[in-house]
Amino acid sequence: MKQFIKSKQLKIILIVLVIIAGIVMIAVKGLNFDLKYQDTQRVELYLKTEFNISDIRQITNEVFGSQKVMIQKVEVFEDSVSITTTSISDEQKSNLITKINEKYGTELTAEDTTVEDIGHTRGRDIIKPYVIPFAIAVIIVLIYLGIRYYKLSIVKVLAKSIGIMALAQILLFSIIAITRIPIGRLTIPMVILVYLLTLFGITTKFEKDLSKKKLDESKDKGKKK
Amino acid sequence: MKKIKIITMIVLIILITMVSFFGVYTQVQNRMENRVRDYALDMDLDGARYVRLSVNKESTDVIKDANGNEVETDEEMTDEQLAENGYTKESVPNNSEDLLTVENYEKSKKIISERLESQGVGEYEISVDNETGDILVQIPENENTDTFVSNMNTVGKFEIIDADTKEVLMDNSDIKLVNVMYGSASSTSSGTTVYLNVEFNKEGSKKLAEISKTYVKGDEDTTNTTSEDTNTTTENTTNTEAENTTADNTTTEENTTDDTTSTETDATEDSTESTTKEITMKIDDEEIMTTSFDEPIENGKLQLSMGSATTDVDTLQDNISQASSIASVLDSGNLPIQYDIESNEYILSDITNTHIAYLALAVGIVLLIGFIIFIIRYKVNGLLSAIAFIGLISLYLLVIRYTNVSVSIQGIVGIIVTIILNYIFINKILSTIKKSEDSKKLATVKEGIKESYKEFFMKLIPICISVIVFCFISWTTISSFGMVMFWGIALIALYNYLITATMLKVRAEK
Repeated sequence: MKQFIKSKQLKIILIVLVIIAGIVMIAVKGLNFDLKYQDTQRVELYLKTEFNISDIRQITNEVFGSQKVMIQKVEVFEDSVSITTTSISDEQKSNLITKINEKYGTELTAEDTTVEDIGHTRGRDIIKPYVIPFAIAVIIVLIYLGIRYYKLSIVKVLAKSIGIMALAQILLFSIIAITRIPIGRLTIPMVILVYLLTLFGITTKFEKDLSKKKLDESKDKGKKK
Repeated sequence: MKKIKIITMIVLIILITMVSFFGVYTQVQNRMENRVRDYALDMDLDGARYVRLSVNKESTDVIKDANGNEVETDEEMTDEQLAENGYTKESVPNNSEDLLTVENYEKSKKIISERLESQGVGEYEISVDNETGDILVQIPENENTDTFVSNMNTVGKFEIIDADTKEVLMDNSDIKLVNVMYGSASSTSSGTTVYLNVEFNKEGSKKLAEISKTYVKGDEDTTNTTSEDTNTTTENTTNTEAENTTADNTTTEENTTDDTTSTETDATEDSTESTTKEITMKIDDEEIMTTSFDEPIENGKLQLSMGSATTDVDTLQDNISQASSIASVLDSGNLPIQYDIESNEYILSDITNTHIAYLALAVGIVLLIGFIIFIIRYKVNGLLSAIAFIGLISLYLLVIRYTNVSVSIQGIVGIIVTIILNYIFINKILSTIKKSEDSKKLATVKEGIKESYKEFFMKLIPICISVIVFCFISWTTISSFGMVMFWGIALIALYNYLITATMLKVRAEK
C-alpha cells in the first residue's frame, strides 16, 4: 500500500514537473510553429518539365542548409515548383536559380523571380474551428457520464472527468513545448487522439468502479438476508 | 460442411481485399481503368487553391466642382471642358494612407473568413502580412472555388441612393442580415423564385419605412432600369411564403399583402414616363436597380427576387448561387480596404503519395506483428481472427471511398484509431474465450463473444457520442475524422458479428 501511494505521489510529482517545465518553456521560448504557419518567404519557379521533389530537395539542401523548406508542385501540369522557407536572401535566390538552371536547362533569372512574403497563421486561428465541436462533444459526454455513473456520485464523476481530460491536454501541450515538436498539421490529430484515449480510460475506470460497487452492494444485501 | 463455410468466408475476404487494395480494372478505349472509386482527399492531402490578395495601390481620377463636391459623369472630359465648367481633376488613391492600418488588415481578414464560412467553405487557411496588408487564402479546389475567389475581394459596399440627387439614403450600417429565400411568386404561378432577403436593423427599418413612403409609385409608373450582370427584382409587396435556403439559417418568412407587384428587370426597358421619385440600389458602386415602392414597408425587410420564377433545377441552382454570393458579401460587411487578386493558383500538397505509402507500410508492419501475436497466443482462433481482420480493413477502405468521406490527416488518424480499436476488441473476444474452461464449446464461444460485445461497446459510448457530434460539424477536417470513425465503429460492430464471430462459432462447432 505504502509503495502504491509512493508510486502515485511520484506520478503526480512527475506530471506537475512536466507541466511547470512546459509553462516555463512557453513563457520563455513560446511554441515552435511549423513552417506552414510561420512568417515565411516563397519563390515559384517554372521548370517547363515535370520534376521529382527529391531532386529539388537536394538543391534546396545545398542552398538553404539547415533551414526548413517546403516544396510543392504547382498547377495541373506540375511543371512549376513552389519553394517556401523561413527567409530567402538575394544570394540564396541567385544560387537557387543557378542550380535550377543547371539541372533543368531553364533560363531563369534572379531579376525576374520575385520572392513573396507570407504572413504567419495565428495559433488561435488554427484551433478556432475545433473549439465549438469539442465543447459540444465534451458537454454531451459529461451528461452521459453523469447519468450512467450516477451511483458513483455525479459530482465526483464530473469533476474527475473534466480534471483528467483537461490534465491530459495540458500535459500534451507541455510535452509539445518541452520537446519543441512543431505546432502544425499533426497537432490537432494528437489532441484528438489524447481526447479519445482519455475518454476510453475514464470509461474503463468508471465501469470497473461501478461493477465493484454493484458487487459490494449485492454482497451487503446477501449479508443482510 | 463446416470446413466449406470457413473456406467460403476466407475466399470472400480475399476477394474484398483484392478489390480494395488492387482495384477492378476494365478496358476503356486503349487503356485499363480502375473502376473502384478513388479517395476524396481534403486540402492538406490534395492541395489547395492559393489566392493572394494584395492591397490596391492604384488611384482613380475624381472630378470636382468649384465647391469641392464630387461630380458624377460618364463621359470623358477634356482639360478644356473641365476648365469651362470650373471643374478640377484629382487623382485619389483607392486606399488612402489612413486606411492602411493593421486594424483594417485584420478586419479585412475577418470579413473574408466570414464570407468563406457563410458560403459553406468547409476548410480554409488565411494569413495576413501586417506590414504590407497582403492576405493569403488557401481553399479547397472544387467546382465552386472560382465563385468563392470572386467574392473574396468584392468590397461589398451597399447603398440605396436617391436616383436624382444621388443622396445616400441607406448603406451597410443599416443592414442587420442578408440571406437567401425561395418560394413560389404567387399561388397562381408555377416555378420557384429565389429571393435575396435584406433585413435592416432598428435604425435601418425606420429609414426604409420613411423612404418607402417618400419614394412611392405613381399611377402610370412602370419604369425599370436594368443591371448588366444581376437580374434582380424588387418584391416590396409579396404574398409569398419564402423559405430560407442558406446553410445556417432556416427561417420561414410569411409576408402577406393584397397584391403582388413584381417588376422584372431584364435586358429590356419598359418605358412609360415616370412620375415618381425613385431610389437606386447599388452594390460596389454598380447599379442593381432603380425602382419605387408600392406601399410603405414597415417590417424592415426588403426582398429582391433573383431572376424569374423557374422550374428548371439548373437555373434555380444558378439563382441560388448568385443570391448566396451577394448575401454572403453583404452580410459580412464591406471590406475597409480595396484588394486585388495578385495570384490565384492551385498548389499541390507537400504530403505526397510516398509519405502516405511509408505510413501505410509502417501500419502494415505493426499489424503483421499484431497478427503474429494473435496466432501465437490463440492458435487457430488467432489465425482466423487475423484473416477476418484483413477483411475488415479492406471493407473499411472501400466504405470510406463509396461514402464520399473526405479523407484528411485527422481522417487518417481515425482509420488508425479504428484499427487499434478493432485489435483491442478482437483480443478481448479471443482472451475471453481462452479464459473459459472449455474454449472449444460453442456455448462458451457464444458467451465470450456476447460478453466482449457488451463490455467493449459500453466503454465505447463516450467515443461514439463524440464521433457523432464531429460528423455534423461543417469544418471538413473534424467531420472527416467523425465520418471515418463512425463507419469504423459501425463496421467493428457489424463485420465482427457477421464474419469474425461466425468463423469462431463454426470452428467451435467443428
